[in-house]
Amino acid sequence: MVPTRLRALLLPPLLALAVAACASASSSSPVASLPAVSPTEPAAAYPLTLIDDAGRRVVIPADPERIVSLAPSNTEIVCALGACGQLVGVTDFDDYPAQVADVADVVIGGSVDVEQVVAAQPQLILAAGNELIPTTIIDQLTSLGFPVLSLYPNSLDDVYDDILLVGAAIHEPTAAAELVASMQLRAEAVGAAVTGAERPRVFYEVGLFEGTIYTAGEDSFIASLITIAGGEPITGDAVSTAIQLEDLIDADPQLILLGDAAYDASVTPGVVAARVGWGEMTAVSTGQIVVMLDDLLVTRPGPRVVDGLEALARAIHPGLVD
Amino acid sequence: MRAVATATSPRISIGPSLTRTAIVLGGGALLLATALVVAVAVGSVGVGIGDTLAVLGHRLLGLPLGRTLSPGAEQIIFDVRLPRVLTAMLVGGGLALAGTVFQALLRNPMADPYIIGTAAGASLGAIAALMAPILVPALVIGSGSSWLGLGVVQVMAFVGGLGSVLLVYAISRANGRVPVVTLLLTGYAVSSVLAAGAALLMFFSGQRLGAIFGWLMGSLASARWLNLAFAAPLLAVSGILLVVRWGRLNALLLGDGPAAHLGVDVEREKLVLTMLATLATSTVVAISGTIGFVGLVVPHVLRLATGPDHRLLLPASILYGAALLALADLGARLAGGIPVGIVTALLGAPFFLWLLRRSRRTGAGASA
Amino acid sequence: MTAGVVTDQLLTVRGLEAGYPLAGGGRREVLRGVDLSLASGELVALVGANGSGKTTLLRCLAGTLASGSGTVEFEGRPLAGWRRDALARRIAVLPQQLDLPVGFRVAELVAMGRLPHARRLFASTADDERAIRRALLDADAGEIAERPVEELSGGERQRLLVAMALAQEPVLLLLDEPTVHLDLAHQVSLLAAIRRLREQRGLAVLAVLHDLNLAAAFAPRVAVLHDGRVVADGAPDEVLSAVLVERVFGVRVDEATTAGGRRHLALREL
Repeated sequence: MVPTRLRALLLPPLLALAVAACASASSSSPVASLPAVSPTEPAAAYPLTLIDDAGRRVVIPADPERIVSLAPSNTEIVCALGACGQLVGVTDFDDYPAQVADVADVVIGGSVDVEQVVAAQPQLILAAGNELIPTTIIDQLTSLGFPVLSLYPNSLDDVYDDILLVGAAIHEPTAAAELVASMQLRAEAVGAAVTGAERPRVFYEVGLFEGTIYTAGEDSFIASLITIAGGEPITGDAVSTAIQLEDLIDADPQLILLGDAAYDASVTPGVVAARVGWGEMTAVSTGQIVVMLDDLLVTRPGPRVVDGLEALARAIHPGLVD
Repeated sequence: MRAVATATSPRISIGPSLTRTAIVLGGGALLLATALVVAVAVGSVGVGIGDTLAVLGHRLLGLPLGRTLSPGAEQIIFDVRLPRVLTAMLVGGGLALAGTVFQALLRNPMADPYIIGTAAGASLGAIAALMAPILVPALVIGSGSSWLGLGVVQVMAFVGGLGSVLLVYAISRANGRVPVVTLLLTGYAVSSVLAAGAALLMFFSGQRLGAIFGWLMGSLASARWLNLAFAAPLLAVSGILLVVRWGRLNALLLGDGPAAHLGVDVEREKLVLTMLATLATSTVVAISGTIGFVGLVVPHVLRLATGPDHRLLLPASILYGAALLALADLGARLAGGIPVGIVTALLGAPFFLWLLRRSRRTGAGASA
Repeated sequence: MTAGVVTDQLLTVRGLEAGYPLAGGGRREVLRGVDLSLASGELVALVGANGSGKTTLLRCLAGTLASGSGTVEFEGRPLAGWRRDALARRIAVLPQQLDLPVGFRVAELVAMGRLPHARRLFASTADDERAIRRALLDADAGEIAERPVEELSGGERQRLLVAMALAQEPVLLLLDEPTVHLDLAHQVSLLAAIRRLREQRGLAVLAVLHDLNLAAAFAPRVAVLHDGRVVADGAPDEVLSAVLVERVFGVRVDEATTAGGRRHLALREL
C-alpha cells in the first residue's frame, strides 16, 4: 500500500528529506521542489501534497500547529518527533508517553467523535487505515476540510516510511530521519546478532477464542518481525489469521510466545501446556513457552516497535541479544 | 373525513375524525420540529443556543452572523449536526413507512422493513465491499472513489438490498401470483442463506470486524450533505407514491379476493408496494446500515392511536418515525457515539414487550 | 332506474371454459362450456351440486379468474377488455364472509366500497359520502355505522357486507352463497333485503344458492349447473323438477306446490 516511489526516494538513511509527489497537471497546484542534501533544516514547502498509505492525495496547507491523532501508534510517532505539544486530540487508548493523558480524547471506545474533532480545529489528522478508522469517517473529515493522513504499515520498512511521512507532514524531517536511522541501526544490530544462529520454529499466540487459535498471518507484520529476530514464524491464514490445531501440531513449534498473556492473566505456560493436543509439540515438551508481556510493543506499529523486535529476539535467542 | 346527516338518519362520520387527524398529525409535526431543534442544539460539544441560532440563520437564511462563534461551532452545527439530524429523520421516516406497508402487505403485525431480505442482502453487499481489499488485494478500491457521493460500501449495500428482494420475489412467483405466505417464507429462507454468507465473510474479516459490526448495528455517524442529496429524492418519490396508495392498502387488508373485487389489481399492487417499500428501505440501509426496531415498533404503536386506516397511518408513521430516530440518535451521540441501532434496540424491545402485555390484558388486538 | 324492467343484455356468457392448475401439473377443468345471459335488472339464482363450478363461474363473472375458451361479455364488451377499477364500479360481490380487520368502524369499511370510484387523493367527494350514507341506510346498517366491527353480531356483519357491496353502486350484484353461515331468520331477511334493493336500485342479481327451495322462493329464474354446464335455465316451476334433481343431485324428491302456488321440493324418506 505504501507507494514505492516514496520508499525509493527516502531509503538513503541519513538526511533524507521529504519530497512532495505531485502528479497534478494543473499549474496552479503546489509542487514541492526536490531538495538538495543539506545538514540544515530546509525551508518549509507548504502547501504540501503527500500520498498516504491508502493512496489518497492529501494537501496540507500550512505547518500544522494543531494535530489530532486517531490511533495510539500515530500519537507515539508524533511525540517521538518532538511534536507532542501540538497534539489537541488523541484516543482513550493512548498510554505513551505519559503526557498524552492530559490531551482531550476524540476517539472513545474505538469510535470517532466527529464533533470533538471539529471543535479541536486541527490542521492535520492522522488516521489508521484498513478500516480501523472507517473510511466513511475519513471521507467525512476530509469533506469538512481537514487534511487526513491514513497510515497502515504492513512491515518494519512500512513503519519507517510512515515515520518519514509524518515527519514531512509536520515539518520535522530531520527528527524523522534521525529516528528512522536509529531504529534501522538497532534492527540491523538484532539481525546481525542472530545471523548464523539456528532458526527455531516460533509460534506467536495472539489469542484463543472459542476454540479458534489466532496467530500471525502469512506475510504479516508480526511474522516479518519474528523473521528479523532470527526465528521461523509459524503463520496462520493470511486473511483470517486463524490456524487449525492440526496444522499447528504438524508445524511443531519449538518456541511458543504468548502475546495474549499480556492482557489475560489466565493464559500461563502451565495452562497452555495442559491444553488438549498441545502436549505433542516440541515447545511444550521442552518447556519453551514464554509470556510476551511486551506484546504491545510488538503489535503497535510505532517508534517503539524496535523495542518489540528486541524483546522478540531476546525471547527467541536469549544468549545472543541483550 | 366529514360527518354527514340527513333529516331521517343519524349522524354518520366517514373516515378518521377531524379531531383525531389533527391531534395525530399535529402532534407528530410538533414532535418533529422539537426533535429537530433539540438534536441540532445538543451534542457532545456544547454549542450555546445563541450560537446555534446564529449559525442556522446565517447559513439557511443568509442573515449576517453578528457574533464571534466558539471555534468550530459553525462547522459542528451546519456540517456535522444538521446533516446528521436530517439524515436521522429521513431514515426514521423511511423505515417507519416501509414497516407500515409491509405489515399491511404481508398481513403480519410482526413484519419489519427487512423481512423479505433487504437487510440480509444489503449486509452481504456492504460486508463484501468492506472485505474486498483484503480478499482481492489486486482490487484496490481507493477510499476516494465514490459515485454520486456514495462510497463503494453504500452502493453495494443499496444494490444488495434491492437485488435480494428481486430474487425473493422471483422465487415466490408461481402461476403469475405471489401468495403472501410464500413471500414471507421465501424471504426468510433467502435471508438465512445471505446471512450465512455474510457470517462467513465476517470470519475472515480480521481487523475489519469492528467496522463491519458498526455497520450492522446501524449508525448515522458519517452522515453528510452528499448522502442526503442521494437519499432525499429517492425517499421523497417512494414516500409520496406509497402514501397515496392508502386506499389500496386498506383494501388488501380484506384479503386478495375481496381486494380484487374492489377493483385492485392485486398482483400488480403487491409488486408495486413491495418495490417501493424496498426502494425506501435499501436507500436508508445504504446510508445508515441496518437500524432495527423503528420499522416494527412505530407502526405498531401508532395503530393504537390512529386505527388501521392507512389514510392517517401512513403519513403519521413518517412523522413519528422521523422524530423518534432523531431523538434516538441524539441519545446515541450523548452516550459516547454508540451506534444508534443499539439505542433503538435497547429502547424498542422493552417498549414492544410492554405493548404486547398491555394489549393481551385488554383483549383487543394491537395487531392490524 | 326503474325496477324490474328487463332491457338489453347486461351479461352474456357463451361456451365458457375455466379451470385451475393442479399442484402436480396439469389442470382441473371445472367449467366445460357454460351459456348464460343476464339482462339488466334481472334476478337469477344459480344452483348446483358442490364442485359443479358455481363459485368458479362467479369468479369468472367478477373478472377475478381468468377463463379458458369461451366469452364473457359485460355491457357488450368482453370482460378481459375492462379495466379492474371500471369493472368494480359496475359489479359488486357479496361474499359468504369476510375477515374484518380489527379496529375499523362499520362506516369506514363501507367507505372502502368507494375505492373503485376514488377521485381525490385523500378526501372523499360529496358523491362518495352520499353513496356511503345511502348504502348504510339501504342495508339497514345506519344504526351500527359507528360501531367497531369486532363487536358486531352475525346479522350485523351480514348487513355490513351488504352495505359494502352497495357502496360500490353496482349495476350487477353477485352473491356467493351468502346464506351458508346464516340461520333461517337471517337467510330470509337477507334475501328479502336483496329483492327490495333490486327494486329500489334496479340491480341485476345473480345469486349462488345451495338451498333449492330458498332459490325457488327468492328468484323468478333459476339456472342449474351440472358438470360444468348449465343444464336447465328458466322459471323454478319448470326447472326444479324431480327428474332434474335426481339427475343433478342424486337425491329423490317429490314435487309439491305451496299454498301460494309455488314449486316446492320435498325429500322422500332418508
